[in-house]
Amino acid sequence: MFQSFFSDAQEFFPVLMQGVLITIAITAAALVIATVLGLFWALLRVSGVAPLSHASRILTNVIRGVPIIVVLFYMYFVLPEAGVSLTAFQAGALGLGVAYSSYMSEVFRSGIDAVDPGQFEAAQSLGMSRAKLMRRVVLPQAFKVALPPYGNNVVMMLKDSSQTAVITVVELSMQSKLIASATFKSATIFTLVALMYLAMSLPMMYFIGRLERRLGRRQ
Amino acid sequence: MITIENLSKSFGAHRVLEGIDASVSQGEVVCLIGPSGSGKSTLLRCINGLERYDGGRITVDGVTVDARKKDIQNIRQRVAMVFQRFNLFPHRTALQNVIEGPVHVKGESLAMATERGREILASVGLAEKMDHYPLQLSGGQQQRVAIARALAMEPEAILFDEPTSALDPELVGEVLAVMRTLAEKGMTMVIVTHEMDFARNVSDRVLFLEHGRIAEQGPSREVLTHPRNERMREFLKRVTHVQ
Repeated sequence: MFQSFFSDAQEFFPVLMQGVLITIAITAAALVIATVLGLFWALLRVSGVAPLSHASRILTNVIRGVPIIVVLFYMYFVLPEAGVSLTAFQAGALGLGVAYSSYMSEVFRSGIDAVDPGQFEAAQSLGMSRAKLMRRVVLPQAFKVALPPYGNNVVMMLKDSSQTAVITVVELSMQSKLIASATFKSATIFTLVALMYLAMSLPMMYFIGRLERRLGRRQ
Repeated sequence: MITIENLSKSFGAHRVLEGIDASVSQGEVVCLIGPSGSGKSTLLRCINGLERYDGGRITVDGVTVDARKKDIQNIRQRVAMVFQRFNLFPHRTALQNVIEGPVHVKGESLAMATERGREILASVGLAEKMDHYPLQLSGGQQQRVAIARALAMEPEAILFDEPTSALDPELVGEVLAVMRTLAEKGMTMVIVTHEMDFARNVSDRVLFLEHGRIAEQGPSREVLTHPRNERMREFLKRVTHVQ
């Protein structure tokens, strides 16, 4: 049994690695979208302009209230009807990024909220504009607070990238399902896939844990 | 240079300031004293627009202070502020704190601001601590960095909001000494404080606030030595008892 596992694993490994690359690529692309968009939502939320912060709150809640799978369906099946045709990969990255932007926005917002109000006042009293105050004083401090939960979201995102399989992205989980249904070697293949996900997520979790301890020590 | 006319402010139904009339001329050192909750910090914070007021008017060099107008950024560059809890930027060194305003608000060159920043930090006795982060400094040192940060803006006036109240007793002296030097150099200062000796010896004028009104005012030595107002007498008695 073990012997056959290793010989099968050797055979399937290169094919599954193709899936790993797609998983990493789609997670990275979605991460950029989620970070930029999430920061944008968070800044609208704390802008102090009531219509903007309401709009941001409602939008992020709507996104959060819809399953990722449905967001992905929208990107892949509904957008073309509006004249925007995306490849499966593009739709997957965009959908995952948009879905996670709402979580990221909460992470950034709680980071900004954690900054001492005295910091806003000190920056204001130097005559800083709102934008400069955010960039020079508040965000650098907010990022420090936001880093650990941000890292956790990245891990969840890596795993949730498997959901893009439903819109035909052949990432790791989809790749494994294809091979498994062709070879019937489910045990070997899915064990290998689990190990591959762990090989990506465990180092990340370890890194986040270290980061948390380091930041905790400094305070 | 600072004129306050018939100022009023409420937090909800609670009236914190009512009918305040006062002015501060150039080079003058004015202390705001009074029991906690009397509105002295609020009054100070209205002067640079950190707090909005509901009625009346504050002008700085003839320009009306309005926290919602863009003008407020210019006023804040001319009227600096020192806080009770220092509010230094923790992610920047002492020197970086001091040059933040000159470089990123006034657009001074980094080289020039750095040179000036070093001089200012040396003048408050922190030549050795320029590259330290705020958390590596004592409270007294942090507050001196905060004063240096205010000075670096080359302000026409500095507002002090209980600058020694968060300090351990043995650190109060070093901060007051820096403030005294500033006063002697002719800096215009408005100071909310509980340090009655400092108010008596250093400031020109004292305003005693109670329930959001000015209950008594006049030359420091005179008013603090022979207060006419009954409640001010009580207040002074209480304050000196504690010390």
